[in-house]
Amino acid sequence: MDAQHDVLVVGAGCAGMRAAIEAFDAGADVAMISKIHPTRSHSGAAEGGINAALGNASEDDPETHAFDTVKGSDYLGDQDAIEILCREAPGDVYQLENWGAVFSRTEDGRIAQRPFGAAGAPRTAYAADITGHVLVQVLYEQVVKRDILTYEEWFAWKLVVDDGRCQGVICWDLLNGGLKVVGAKTVILATGGAGRLYTGTTNAYSCTGDGMALALRAGVALKDMEMMQFHPTTLAPTGVLITEGCRGEGAYLLNSEGERFLKDYAPNAMELASRDVISRAEQTEIDQGRGIEGNVLLDLRHLGAEKILERLHGTRELSMVFMGIDPIHEPIPVRPGAHYHMGGVDTDAWGQTSLTGLYAAGEVACVSVHGANRLGGNALMETITFGKRSGRHAADWALANTTVTVPEGVVTDAERELKALLDRRDGERPWKIRDELAATMHENFGVFRREDQMQRQGQIVDGLRERYERVVVEDKGDVFNSDLTQALELGFLLELAEAMVVCGIARKESRGAHARPHDFPERDDENFLKHTLVTSVDGRPRLDWKPVTMTKWEPKERTY
Amino acid sequence: MEAATKPAEKTMQVRVKIWRYDSQTGDRALKEYELEAPEWVTLLDVLDLIKDQQDGTLAYRKSCRMMICGSCGMRMDGAAVLACKTRMYDIVQAGHVPVISAMGNLPIVKDLVVDMDPFWDKFKAMKPYLQPGYEEPTEGKEYLVSQERMNVIHKEALCINCGACVSECNAMESDPAFLGPQALAKGMRFVGDARDANTVERLEDYSGEHGIWECTRCYFCNERCPKGVDPRDAIAKLGAEAMKQGVDTDMGAKHARWFVKSAETTGWLRETELVPKTQGVISAISQMKFAMGLAVKGKVPPPIPPHVADRVDESRALRKLVKEQGRDGYAGIVQGERALARLEHEASGAHGGMGSLESADVTPGEEPTAGKAD
Repeated sequence: MDAQHDVLVVGAGCAGMRAAIEAFDAGADVAMISKIHPTRSHSGAAEGGINAALGNASEDDPETHAFDTVKGSDYLGDQDAIEILCREAPGDVYQLENWGAVFSRTEDGRIAQRPFGAAGAPRTAYAADITGHVLVQVLYEQVVKRDILTYEEWFAWKLVVDDGRCQGVICWDLLNGGLKVVGAKTVILATGGAGRLYTGTTNAYSCTGDGMALALRAGVALKDMEMMQFHPTTLAPTGVLITEGCRGEGAYLLNSEGERFLKDYAPNAMELASRDVISRAEQTEIDQGRGIEGNVLLDLRHLGAEKILERLHGTRELSMVFMGIDPIHEPIPVRPGAHYHMGGVDTDAWGQTSLTGLYAAGEVACVSVHGANRLGGNALMETITFGKRSGRHAADWALANTTVTVPEGVVTDAERELKALLDRRDGERPWKIRDELAATMHENFGVFRREDQMQRQGQIVDGLRERYERVVVEDKGDVFNSDLTQALELGFLLELAEAMVVCGIARKESRGAHARPHDFPERDDENFLKHTLVTSVDGRPRLDWKPVTMTKWEPKERTY
Repeated sequence: MEAATKPAEKTMQVRVKIWRYDSQTGDRALKEYELEAPEWVTLLDVLDLIKDQQDGTLAYRKSCRMMICGSCGMRMDGAAVLACKTRMYDIVQAGHVPVISAMGNLPIVKDLVVDMDPFWDKFKAMKPYLQPGYEEPTEGKEYLVSQERMNVIHKEALCINCGACVSECNAMESDPAFLGPQALAKGMRFVGDARDANTVERLEDYSGEHGIWECTRCYFCNERCPKGVDPRDAIAKLGAEAMKQGVDTDMGAKHARWFVKSAETTGWLRETELVPKTQGVISAISQMKFAMGLAVKGKVPPPIPPHVADRVDESRALRKLVKEQGRDGYAGIVQGERALARLEHEASGAHGGMGSLESADVTPGEEPTAGKAD
């Protein structure tokens, strides 16, 4: 063992840093492992804001926030967890502000809030259009203040499971090379999403579902993995995010005929309907020939230069750099892109998984507060509130328990496996498999899903997994061997794709992000008001179901 | 780089040269690569294509590919860029073969990867976290701060810690211990924050030997910052605020103070008094021989007794106005225009980003100058 801690956080974005801070303040010896420096985390790319019923822009309360979230989830969210989130959100946001977060302000000097999709009040607290960046910075500042140890550019490769407990992590030291073993009484996964499963995605290159795959391999269940959110406004060709804040500030979506087409899909909420509704509307317009080269148009012009420069400065920058378009003068072509995984590691409202000592928080987890469709602004809030809760619980547990054991065999097995991979000289390099996976997932498991396409995707992923068994890592060196870590990431992605397809085929209804217009166009509460669960048995996914927790909201028809 | 394999995309032939560095052998080599790529590619996409299809050992950092994570700072033709912000189209059309190398002022680990530890050590030295005063936020909620007051640190808060400014910092090249543009901009982020109560203490910390006044004002940091943070402006704000707050015992502060004093009293700059006022009399005497040499060559005005300029009233009125309007301290440093102006400029071409030939202001092919990793 190279080191040992009470609490070891894997991933250092908003959820990971918030968890580490909380565990530290609870008195635990805490460290973070991250394959990239904490401020490089993809939480920083969140743009629009963070939802809490502060009531700074209009009357609001946690109960309304909870109802909006339940409805937005298409009733697949667990209502007890949603109530906790919405109740704790305001205090958690004030705390971020008190720590120094540079939020935008109302005229009376309070935290500014803007309208966001499917929300009953302007509830999204924001810092212009760089809210995630501002939160990552303030959390890192607090990490520095506490001098919390971070194993930077260490790649978490395997969980150590012994005696029915998670007791550490085996890592590859990216900067210097070599396997490192860090023992821990509790491990919190906070590795974010798996958007790299798709060609067009808002997600960073680092979003490869590492934590989900680590949990799956450790025998822990993944929940609602078919629920991948497509964000309605991403840039061609690679899927760079344009914030929902644009529509929050009043931007229009137009088809090739210059119509605000949402009048046919969500006549009341229009551009502020929920993301699944708008992405489907856009895809329908595009499929029916009313798109422009595979896009629709996001029109900000009527907002005026002043508002765009003050509140959507980053959006303008992205649009100008990647499209050569200044949104003050021209509409931005946008289309749906893979954005957020509602599914993830099955946890309770304290972040606990079924494996003692293992926690998960943030996008990697599925508590579930987002159900079948997440509302914009709820992801950052989830990272903070459930990061905090899991940090607290993990610290309390660790301080009440003492021993950590990492059996020698676990380490030697990992060394042998790594050596076999690095020693392989003949075979295919991983990038073609990665590209084929992403392209086919986009085609066969995208905004709309068909039975035959999902079946075919299952076979494709099988084939890719077989090819993956023979991949070759070209870089044999120790120092910054990203060729190796990228190969390991692809292994994670392939297993997650398989899990997603299994869940998608089993859910024979349309709910939230899972849309099957051709065979099961309606939501079916009688048969499918329940979570999918996938566990790995002998390397293959096994499907189970789990009931949704309802407290006070009965499922209703969902219109916007 | 999945989309690169799609059919029916307009492509172009891209050529780049990359300074490779093998940390295990210490070998350096400038290698040329040629590849077919879609017209929309950025420098980062090009590196990805090379790593996938030509050489898996190529090392560079990347993550968000949308100019917010700050991972992919590197040099193109000797000047720092974010690879993901650098569109290749114009460069290729001009027939230019850019030279890519690791950032400057930081030890190279491998190829385009630098050791960021010295960078973060300086960041941490700034006490980069809010140090609130005794005033509690009202009702256990947020501090009440106007947007106008928040705008003071708007640009500093944009910083993504990519290191582009540090890479190009001339002062840091001569004194590696200089806190540098990124750390000082981070410092200004707290000095300018109405919620932070340790302004004077911070200014004292930042004023020492390797601090605020060591900046040579070359403006390379402003020029190369991909986010419009304008670190040099932040350093100017710190200097102005330090003087306003009476943190002015540093030589740099004394130097600046003398400019003001001289202009206020006689209306012209009394250069002969500048050295003793800045460095003290003893140090000035030791430099007498040097000064005499300069005088002989006509490089300094003769040490005649000071006279008062005809229109000294104007210089005094100006000074008074600055104080009356509260434009001494950081409030006096004009900000906000540069970042936006740069965007306007970039929009004038069909393709935005950092990849314009005019911005390549150094010698192509120059070998990276930073030291090797230990």
